[in-house]
Amino acid sequence: MNILEEITEILAEILDIENHNISPETYLIRDLGVESIDLLELAVALNSIFKIDVNDDEIFLKKLRQYITEAEQQNKDILQYLAENLPFLSRKRLEEITADLEEGPTLKVEDLVSYVERQCYEN
Amino acid sequence: MMDNMRRRVVITSVGVISSLGFTLVEILNNLKDENISFERSFFDNEDAIVSPINDFDVKDFADHFKDRRYLNRGAQFCVASAIEAVKKAGIDKKLLAESGLFLGTGPNLDIGGEFPDIKVGEIDRKDLMALWMLKFLPNTAASVIAKLAGIHGENQTITTACSASLQAIGEAFRKIKDGYIDLAFAGGGDSRLSKSSILAYKKAHALCDGTGNPERAIRPFDKSRKGFVPGEGGAFFLFEELQHAKSRGATIYGEICGYSASIDGYAMTAPQPDGKWAERSVNAALQEAGLVSSDIDVVSSHGTGTLLNDLMEAKLIDRIYGEKPPFVIALKSWIGHIAAACGAVELAICLACMQSSYLPKIRNLDEPCHAALNFVREEQSCPIRNILLENFGFGGQNSALVVRKHDRLR
Repeated sequence: MNILEEITEILAEILDIENHNISPETYLIRDLGVESIDLLELAVALNSIFKIDVNDDEIFLKKLRQYITEAEQQNKDILQYLAENLPFLSRKRLEEITADLEEGPTLKVEDLVSYVERQCYEN
Repeated sequence: MMDNMRRRVVITSVGVISSLGFTLVEILNNLKDENISFERSFFDNEDAIVSPINDFDVKDFADHFKDRRYLNRGAQFCVASAIEAVKKAGIDKKLLAESGLFLGTGPNLDIGGEFPDIKVGEIDRKDLMALWMLKFLPNTAASVIAKLAGIHGENQTITTACSASLQAIGEAFRKIKDGYIDLAFAGGGDSRLSKSSILAYKKAHALCDGTGNPERAIRPFDKSRKGFVPGEGGAFFLFEELQHAKSRGATIYGEICGYSASIDGYAMTAPQPDGKWAERSVNAALQEAGLVSSDIDVVSSHGTGTLLNDLMEAKLIDRIYGEKPPFVIALKSWIGHIAAACGAVELAICLACMQSSYLPKIRNLDEPCHAALNFVREEQSCPIRNILLENFGFGGQNSALVVRKHDRLR
């Protein structure tokens, strides 16, 4: 199984839903109704299955809005600042995220994949 | 409302999951056909005998929901039977939100199943859930039921061993009778069918041995009784103030008239031999119901088939009823001992029997341990008006509940 397939399995198990409801484009909170306790389970599962350290703040983009505020306060380029703090996300994805903020929590399945890919690579 | 106006409490929905069936009709048919589930456990190589529900899946009752992973098997029976009672109640969201929720639950004793690799105190493993503790917290079932059904009223989770679900029902009854709420779901679910649980009861010398015919193993009130057979299941009921039930045209399955509980303060597992405090709970339940002992037609005994319980209980019944002994049934001879949930499931079976004026025999009762009692030795048809249920649990927990057939004319 590749990383996406593994993550799909984990999410389906935790949320008690079918795999076909999950794609890279799926929003975790907006589409799947993921709650904070599900994120706890997800972090534990990713850690044990991929043998990687999982930083909850990073992988679940918990500090996204804080980083944007910081960039604004310090007159820094927002995308550049986000790229420094969330290095696992591509420039294209960061542009998408900043354009999408009004709609609610932006975390997608593809972001989890990107995080795990980077952590596995660093190991 | 006038202070002296007595509020009456009736049963208006039943959800039950038992080895005798998943509806009152199924239960009655399986009682009559002696269609029972007793077998040698597959999970214990020392051959314990158990009464399992082999085709149970909580998803069949509550569909898919993510918190399912936090339910131990006993909690699954709780949730499934509660959701069944909610569905059958047919009440709207507003009434559900106002309803109380009272549960009797047991501990998760499946330590070996939960932590298969446990070694020198180290329980962590690859797939240990972040919130694994939820499978051990007694109120996880309550939390899940409330979330699934939208129940937000008064709530208690009672964990008084084998007396727990009868006490949960009793507490719901009193909360309604005393005017705090008009409706409450109450009941319980439990399962001790695991290798670790069996080990626990074996070490306590409470189980019958695993030899012989499994269907003959549990023999309440028989001279040759050797212990209980663990069962599993759950039952929930909607309890409702009578006028409230009538005004919405609800089906009424019976009336709860009296309840009481007490604690021996004697021993950790054995009942107090003279049953002094157990007797007090029975008498107090009769008093609350406004009845005398001769008004009781049937005693649904705790009847575990252990030496000590049945000895104490037989003497107690004899003392209370004396000259005019009521019929005594022992439903654990049909479904095994469902621990914290035994009272709830036994109440469901009592309602099935009451509706049809039917009394099941005490299975495997060949030589009664007490000559003066009116044990039901052969099935029979007879009108039943008042049943008194008794449950006694480890720790000296005693409870008694009086249920009456509902008479539309009264």
